[in-house]
Amino acid sequence: MSERKALALFILLCALFGASSAKAHKLKTFATAIGAEISGYAYFAPGGRAQNAQVVITREDGSLAAHLQTNDQGEFSYLADQRTRLTIHVDAGDGHEADTHIAAADLPSTLPLANNSSAASRPIESLKGTDSPTASSLDLQQQIETALARQLRPLREQLDAWQEQIWLHDILGGLGYIIGLAGLAYGLTNNKRSTKPNSSTKRTKA
Amino acid sequence: MAHIPDGVLSWPVLASGIVTSLAGCAYGLKKLEPMAIPRTAVLSASFFVAALVHFPVGPTSVHLMLNGLIGLLLGWVAVPAIMIGLLLQALLFGFGGMIVLGVNTFNLALPALLCHGLFQLSRKSHNHKLIILTAGICGFLGVSLTAVLVALSLALSGKEFISAAQLVVFAHLPIMVIESVFTASAIALLLRVKPAALDTNWSEEPNHDDAESQNETGAQFTADSRAIESKVYVRA
Repeated sequence: MSERKALALFILLCALFGASSAKAHKLKTFATAIGAEISGYAYFAPGGRAQNAQVVITREDGSLAAHLQTNDQGEFSYLADQRTRLTIHVDAGDGHEADTHIAAADLPSTLPLANNSSAASRPIESLKGTDSPTASSLDLQQQIETALARQLRPLREQLDAWQEQIWLHDILGGLGYIIGLAGLAYGLTNNKRSTKPNSSTKRTKA
Repeated sequence: MAHIPDGVLSWPVLASGIVTSLAGCAYGLKKLEPMAIPRTAVLSASFFVAALVHFPVGPTSVHLMLNGLIGLLLGWVAVPAIMIGLLLQALLFGFGGMIVLGVNTFNLALPALLCHGLFQLSRKSHNHKLIILTAGICGFLGVSLTAVLVALSLALSGKEFISAAQLVVFAHLPIMVIESVFTASAIALLLRVKPAALDTNWSEEPNHDDAESQNETGAQFTADSRAIESKVYVRA
């Protein structure tokens, strides 16, 4: 009994400690585009940036855009040269890997399009082509987009971290599942239980 | 570290992990006796929650694994216990993944089984100090062997073994020490309080529950004699 009590106490402590401080232990990548500059960082969800992790940025057509390494702050940055969907893959080297994407729409429309990409996949792009806006209005639009991206970045960061948070109801739910499975196992081993007295009498005789 | 995410390992590694883990799990479930279920559930729950206890190490952080302790106390039943814990962690916390569950279970359960074998050998000596020392070593081995297995699974999937092993093993040195102390103290407590809890050979274990229930119905003498008998059985 004392064994179970001690372990139950331990689980409770873990649950309380875990609930207050824990987040998922996995690698995450966060990146946003402000203008043509893509900046981001790789981090382990329970705190700590991933230093010296390999960052591979690929374009939509699968071609390699850049091969970078995160700095001491786990940060990396890349200046986009094409308006295409970018995939950022981070590998910390110890089995932790993470992916994130930058949509083509997040990159400025002044950038050249990817060579072999179809115009149909970017309706906004083709629309702009037909509108033929003046240079100053394009410039203004660009400035607004950049300012907006800058303003939205902290919000996105917060949302990203929020997603990774582990809630008390997750922990309690898991413990509930285990209790349920134990009950199920107890029911399913009913046969073994009913034959138990025979085996024990055999043992005492022996 | 013990939670390799989906999409990192190659298919042959994933497939062999699934096959071996399922086989081990089936064998463990076959060995699961009704009286072992509460202990299995409690340890599985401990494992499930232990991954949330983090220790910051340099740029990253490591968490408790407890696979050594689970191996010591459960033997083969540790395989289903670890698998359930990992499954729930993947579903609820996003640690690891579903396809890689087999490999992750294998990486944690194999060291647990080895620890169990080592520990049972040491128990034959009946020397408490030696048993506690072995428990400490098992706590250490549980984590370090898992680290090596993780590096090996990465290497078999085309990553560089040495760099992966260095990263994984060095980052987990503190947790090895912590687990070692934790396992040794848990076993020391059990040796003092309830040595029978260290038996994992359920079918041959003296039935303490029977003794207790007879005690309640008034068969004092039988119960006492059986209790003495069981103590002798445990010591012998």
